[in-house]
Amino acid sequence: MLEKKVYEAFTKIVGERHISQDLAVMDTYAFQWCNEIEGAQRGEEPQRFGVRPLAVVLPESTEQVQSIVKLCNEHDVTFKAFCTGMGPWAGVSDPRAIQIDLRRMNRIIEVDEKNMYAVIEPYVTNAELQSELFEFGLMHHAQGAGPQTAPLASHTSFVGPGFTSPYTGFSARNVLGVEWVLPEGEILRLGSFDHSGKWFTGDGPGISLRGIMRGWLGTYGGLGVFTKAAIRLFSWPAPKDWKWKTSGTIPDYDWDVPPYWQMYVLNFEEWEEYQKAMYELSDREVTMVATTSAPEGLAALFTNTKQDAIETIFAGLLAKTRNYIVMLVAAHTQREFDFRTKLVRLIMEKYGGNDLIAEGVTTPMPMHYGETVRNMLGGHAFRFSNCFQSTHGGMDTISMAVRLAQLNQPIKQKYIDKGVIGDDRGLGIWITSYESGHMAHMEAPTVYDPTDIESCLGYAAYQDDCNQLDLDNALGMPFFIVGDEVHNFYAKRAMNYPDWLRKIKGAFDPNGVSDPSHYVKGVEKKK
Amino acid sequence: MTLGEFEDMMDSCVRCSKCKFIPQLVIQSKRFSSICPSIDYYNFHAYSGGGRMIVASAYHKGRVELTKEMLDVIYSCTNCGGCEVSCKWVYELEPNEAIHELRVAAVEAGAGPMPKHKKYIELVERNNNPYGEDPEKRPAWLTDDITTDESSSTLYFVGCTASYRREEIAVATAKILNSAGEDFRLMGSDEMCCGSPVFRVGDEKKAIEIMKSNIEQFKETGIEKIITSCSGCYNMLKVEYPRFVEHDIEVIHTSQMIEEFIEEEKIKLTEKVPMKVTYHDPCHLGRMAEPYVPWEGEKIEVLSQVFIYDPPKPVRRGAGGVYDAPRNVLKQIPGVELVEMERIREYSYCCGAGGGCRSAYPDFALWASNERLEEAESTDASTLVSACPFCGTNFKEGIESRKSEMDYFDLTELVLRSMGGGK
Repeated sequence: MLEKKVYEAFTKIVGERHISQDLAVMDTYAFQWCNEIEGAQRGEEPQRFGVRPLAVVLPESTEQVQSIVKLCNEHDVTFKAFCTGMGPWAGVSDPRAIQIDLRRMNRIIEVDEKNMYAVIEPYVTNAELQSELFEFGLMHHAQGAGPQTAPLASHTSFVGPGFTSPYTGFSARNVLGVEWVLPEGEILRLGSFDHSGKWFTGDGPGISLRGIMRGWLGTYGGLGVFTKAAIRLFSWPAPKDWKWKTSGTIPDYDWDVPPYWQMYVLNFEEWEEYQKAMYELSDREVTMVATTSAPEGLAALFTNTKQDAIETIFAGLLAKTRNYIVMLVAAHTQREFDFRTKLVRLIMEKYGGNDLIAEGVTTPMPMHYGETVRNMLGGHAFRFSNCFQSTHGGMDTISMAVRLAQLNQPIKQKYIDKGVIGDDRGLGIWITSYESGHMAHMEAPTVYDPTDIESCLGYAAYQDDCNQLDLDNALGMPFFIVGDEVHNFYAKRAMNYPDWLRKIKGAFDPNGVSDPSHYVKGVEKKK
Repeated sequence: MTLGEFEDMMDSCVRCSKCKFIPQLVIQSKRFSSICPSIDYYNFHAYSGGGRMIVASAYHKGRVELTKEMLDVIYSCTNCGGCEVSCKWVYELEPNEAIHELRVAAVEAGAGPMPKHKKYIELVERNNNPYGEDPEKRPAWLTDDITTDESSSTLYFVGCTASYRREEIAVATAKILNSAGEDFRLMGSDEMCCGSPVFRVGDEKKAIEIMKSNIEQFKETGIEKIITSCSGCYNMLKVEYPRFVEHDIEVIHTSQMIEEFIEEEKIKLTEKVPMKVTYHDPCHLGRMAEPYVPWEGEKIEVLSQVFIYDPPKPVRRGAGGVYDAPRNVLKQIPGVELVEMERIREYSYCCGAGGGCRSAYPDFALWASNERLEEAESTDASTLVSACPFCGTNFKEGIESRKSEMDYFDLTELVLRSMGGGK
């Protein structure tokens, strides 16, 4: 428990209603998806309950966050802030830590239609922000974690590829400026805001520090608290009077597809043709979505229940599906649509592909279009066993993504044969190109059973093997399960970058109170 | 089921927070994106569907004890089932069921329910209603111009709230029945609480006693069909009773009954009721009204770590509630213009009264009512309509507290008005 006077001091900041140290309440913060895997990797018994914070506070303003952080420095209490808080990186790792739940900071501060950015607070979710942007004819980049997660978390602190990545890039690229409560409590606003009152750029005039603030991987909340973020927006390819409209009843909703939208599933017999087509489709900027998974994954993408997905798998989908790209052509006008769809057909024919939708092998319903652009399809993978996690995480070239997929297959198959992870014949991957060029992200979503110890241990061992594969073959590094040890593992092959991270951490957080969790611990603590 | 039987389910929550929002695909605005009044009001994760599953897991594993704050977490939930609808979009989890089992466990441990609940349970035992009203005055709402037939096998089960607090609903229902020429009887002063307020707070033992007693009474009096104007009663009699007490009595809600009367031309809606209305789906008539379908079969591993049920196990997603009947009735009232709120049907936002919250956490219940009223007002409707006296009571209080210009009517009241007062 926190000392009484310290607890009272926190209470004074947020008010009695917004602080708790009840153990049951604390346990809902200690419990996190994948704690069981990280525990298994450390040789502990797998379980979802991790480190229990000593208290949880719910601030409502940047000033309150600042006061909390200063108090933490004063009393040697570690803190970790989160938005919606999904995943072990959201939890605390220090037994003398409090959790800062940013749920009450949930405003969309500004949408600048002309300059195409939005300024948001931590607890605005992707679905919420998206729903408010349509009237401006705009959209934002939503990370693959799902529509119920917070874009601020991803933009400031995580990598964040998503289903619309070919068009919207990934979160790290789209942050334009932030309001940042540094680990010692100082408030820093990056970018143009203090110069002009506008957030159009995060790199100045004014201070940038974007690389320090997050770099590629992000600090996973291990370097202070972000209380506002300005993020880049994109043109939403639908008429301004088009409304997001659903009808029907769960699980089979209907959705009004905007005009000039068409989905394709381009299928290629061999990886080589797939790879060439992916390069060309990305380069020609024809698609908002370019996503690849296993044939089993395709069954999950365009069905609404687990039962339907399984039935689709056994109904012969696997035999007709090889290396495919789910694409969404979303155009503003008929001419643009005609141009893009023609290009899709030409590229498909050039590389000997076939369209699985045209051939009736798979049939996305209108609601699946909606789920695609609301970034909901990744969630479908949870249907198989209520759980999955991804190994790898390389964001590199399309060819590296393909190579990674090929190298991963036999390793995954080994654990499938042991019966500890879900059987996708080792083909379960997620590739998405991004930024309409040569780049792609690849991870290997893997189904396991969190209630089965053998399955957790099996997944953990598979994760370790994948990390070794990444290191041995220069395939990037994982971006889900990281932290000091994983960073160290890759250090020698990457200019000992963790040493630099530690210097940054030490300089910005001299008292070591910003819980490093999945970031790195500082060089040294003064205390 | 016991709490232990939920262990795997509780351990499978990925803490994704979907349970805090309406199904993600149907979100149309930030303002009305949430589904759980409890997390909206209290904010700590423990007050969400997933959070309460974690609390249940922690309790089951012996990590925590039933403190006062934990009891608040357990009981400041309206048990509306919204979390479960959103969760089941992806997962095979049942947070609302787990919360109920946690309440049962709290009662068995001697810590639950909350003092206010204990008090009204005593009143139910003593007076047959949770308000502590005189059982003899239960049929006091009955006016001289209403005809009942004590030999009828159709029972109008009035319920405690319509009997003692919202008598206008009882009157309207009875008059509609009379106008349709449908014979019905009442239990009068012998009518007993359906058990909902007892069951919802986890006192399952006493609730089952009430269920058994009621069914026995129905059987003794030859009841074959029950009409209820209360969503809570409907839910108990139609959905919960069959899980614990065998009966084959047909149970219908007034909205379904009226829809049938209109179709069969037993009643005519002729008088204009010029108003723009919006309809609130009561949780217990909507998503919670989907029956539990008994299932027998086996769990088969079809792919490594992937199991299915053979034959397929029915999933209670909330789609099977009573949604169309009240809307169809409203649409047939001349002059009524029905406009929808953003959160409707299986993803309707709870009024805040249920699950024992109105008695134990009145501030929260009133706040939730105001939240919903704000959404109703956003449609520009002049009138909020629902089909549950308990929702109605909470809304009427909300309307008064926020000085809203909105009117509230039960569906039966508007129907009666359109029939020319039931004459």
